[in-house]
Amino acid sequence: MSTEAKQAYVLEMRGISKKFPGVQALDDVTLRVRPGKVHALMGENGAGKSTLMKCLFGIYHEDAGEIILKGNRAKFHSAKDALEAGVSMIHQELSNVPERSVRENIWLGREPMRRIGPLALLNHAKMHRDTAVLMESLEMKIDPADRMGGLSISKQQACEIAKAVSYEASVVVMDEPSSSLTETETEHLFRIIRDLTKKGVAVIYISHKMSEIFQIADDVSVMRDGKMLGTWPAAELDEDRLIKLMVGRDNTNRFPSVESAVGEVRLEVRNLCSAEDRSFRDVSFELRRGEILGLGGLVGAQRTELVEAIFGLRKTASGEILVDGERTAIRSPRDAIRRGIGLITEDRRGSGIFPLLSITENTAVASLGNYLKAGFLEHRRIEAEARRLNEALRTKTPSMWAQIQNLSGGNQQKVLVSRWLMTLPDILIMDEPTRGIDVGAKYEIYTIMAELARNGKSIIMVSSEMPELLGMSHRVMVLCAGRHTGTLAKEDATQESIMRLATQFE
Amino acid sequence: MAANAVGALAQKKGFGAFISKNTNLVTFVVLATALGLLTGGRSFQWDSVRNLLIAESVRAFAALGVGMIIITRGIDLSIGYVVCLVASVAASFAQTPDYMAALYPGRDFPVYLPFVAGILTGGFFGFLNGVLVAYGKLPAFIATLGTMSIARGAQLIYTKAAVVGSVKDAYKSIAQGSVGPVPNLAIYVAVAAVMVWVLLRHTKRGTNFYAIGGNPVAARVSGINVEKELVVVYTYAGLLYGIAGCLLSGRLGLANALTANGMELDAIAAVTVGGVSQAGGVGTVGGMLIGVLTLGIINYGMTYLGVDSYYQLLVKGVIILVAVYFYIRKYSKRA
Repeated sequence: MSTEAKQAYVLEMRGISKKFPGVQALDDVTLRVRPGKVHALMGENGAGKSTLMKCLFGIYHEDAGEIILKGNRAKFHSAKDALEAGVSMIHQELSNVPERSVRENIWLGREPMRRIGPLALLNHAKMHRDTAVLMESLEMKIDPADRMGGLSISKQQACEIAKAVSYEASVVVMDEPSSSLTETETEHLFRIIRDLTKKGVAVIYISHKMSEIFQIADDVSVMRDGKMLGTWPAAELDEDRLIKLMVGRDNTNRFPSVESAVGEVRLEVRNLCSAEDRSFRDVSFELRRGEILGLGGLVGAQRTELVEAIFGLRKTASGEILVDGERTAIRSPRDAIRRGIGLITEDRRGSGIFPLLSITENTAVASLGNYLKAGFLEHRRIEAEARRLNEALRTKTPSMWAQIQNLSGGNQQKVLVSRWLMTLPDILIMDEPTRGIDVGAKYEIYTIMAELARNGKSIIMVSSEMPELLGMSHRVMVLCAGRHTGTLAKEDATQESIMRLATQFE
Repeated sequence: MAANAVGALAQKKGFGAFISKNTNLVTFVVLATALGLLTGGRSFQWDSVRNLLIAESVRAFAALGVGMIIITRGIDLSIGYVVCLVASVAASFAQTPDYMAALYPGRDFPVYLPFVAGILTGGFFGFLNGVLVAYGKLPAFIATLGTMSIARGAQLIYTKAAVVGSVKDAYKSIAQGSVGPVPNLAIYVAVAAVMVWVLLRHTKRGTNFYAIGGNPVAARVSGINVEKELVVVYTYAGLLYGIAGCLLSGRLGLANALTANGMELDAIAAVTVGGVSQAGGVGTVGGMLIGVLTLGIINYGMTYLGVDSYYQLLVKGVIILVAVYFYIRKYSKRA
């Protein structure tokens, strides 16, 4: 390695490849980061940004390639290794201990000690002093004795940055750091970032917000489908060019034709606001019989929160929901099911399947009330109906009594679709219906959706995959940071037009 | 339906599959056979079996109750003292009227009253546990630790820490009698077990219990009223403890502050050995009963073999830990 290269880049990731079953998540990716600069890492959902960063931190082990930090080959096995070598990460979700003080959080795991005879005790005074000095040097006004959980989100984030600095980090990775910040807080964050870069620290900044990138970044690298397209000085790019780079892929996925007669309005949502902070606000839309409405947006757009609120899983503060023109109060999933709404959640394992129960039980669980005779379950009818649905959807299983955990992701998803079909819904909400499913099974799920629409069901499909949104939807509705930024008819929906709405922050 | 949850585990066929499917039954048979050999067949004689049934019946009620709770991913530590309180309340309404130290001297209550009072007391504590867990969102461990202490205090206050003795023969015979060679207690357990089996296997509610234990979030998404079902399961368990307490005071002919002490641990251990997973969503009535009998023959066998009672506790502890160790391996391969 030449001395020149050492000076030019503080971190180089060269030729990184990583394969997961069925997917080439990273394909010969190279990223070079200059010291004292902000390097933006851009790409659609699933382009490989997170996987790349997980390889850097040793959470994943790359199949090929090498990581050079300050001229030396580096191999981290944990976030702690990486921290000690001067690479730290500020996560989108905070990872502090909210019930402990700021100073304890910063020195967690490496607390200064003092010895009194045979005892090694915590040196609280030194911890406090060092924290105060650290905060001073970063011009942060945070009392080291404050309880972490009592601080605002932006201050907590500032503490994490301070912690990174205390490790004398030379590279700080920030994953969507502004996603939960207000505008003023974001400006404060940018001030801190500029201070860091003045000290020679390199910042890798992952964000979907276009305006921020052009405000703060020096270099921009763009990834797409696990490949690195290249790195450009931010000054040479503009928004249009960047969007084209991010989405400009060939549409290789194939979709069945969705030919259904779109009829009257089944579901109408008016000015719906979440009861949670920083979630969706003032969302209105309508869904018609036989229609597949795509719901697009980037990570943090609050799409899942919106559909879960419609299904009664989350509280709303104001707004109304009309089913078949009638105002409906949906306070729980039970209310939603009664009104003919079903929801297949995004997290199949977390909130979908009952891993130890059988295919039959997993299918029937939401509609047992319709299969009672004198208060007792009609096992035969239940099994017959569950079997009929799963056969119609071609669920591959050794038997109806096999545990669902032994099926593939695609087949588990078909069981979940069967579950909701058994409730005889009019409206089916599918949150990321093909996530983690192999290509063949995806096509089958698409065929099922098209068939349902043809039979007059209405579908809301939340999806992070552009081709899926474009290929399956009658209309695409786009959220950005909890706001409905637009709805595109099939003719007007393109990757560029969706991405433009998805990055349209006020 | 849910009874097949365990059955469906083993996809492979043959003897190995049978053992992995019926670990609890195999363990029981192996231990019973071993005991039979060691005692030269004496443990297979009806008298021995009868003694075992009488000794384990009360515990079986507690096991059925806490077994259902554990299926929903809960736990109940209040059993021992709730059963103790129930036994004391029930016995106090069943004392002979001429007994000078009776809690209600000179009063002769009808023989059903102790049962009504006892079962209501048990049901009340179950309901309280359920509300604390479901709506108060207290961890079940802590909620039932609290009610355990409340039950303990209530028992001491109610009885003034004295023995509630001199129980009427009519009351005692309900628990102590037999139909031919079969002890009444075993018949009551059989009836309760069938009812719980019907509940778990043939009603919507039973399926809901398995669903809640298997994945509480998915249960909610599937439209199950998780809070209500939890109150119900704890209340059902409380009613079963109520029956246990009544029968226990009848069997013993008295109740005092030591009655049923530690029963929660025996009941939890029994259902665990019987294959009810602490992770929730798994377990059958048959397994619970096998678990009770397994612990029963371990106790019985060690007593018969003259093992010091202090060592008995130690051995019991080891057996429970080994059982749980294997079950955790069996159920932890979740997709």
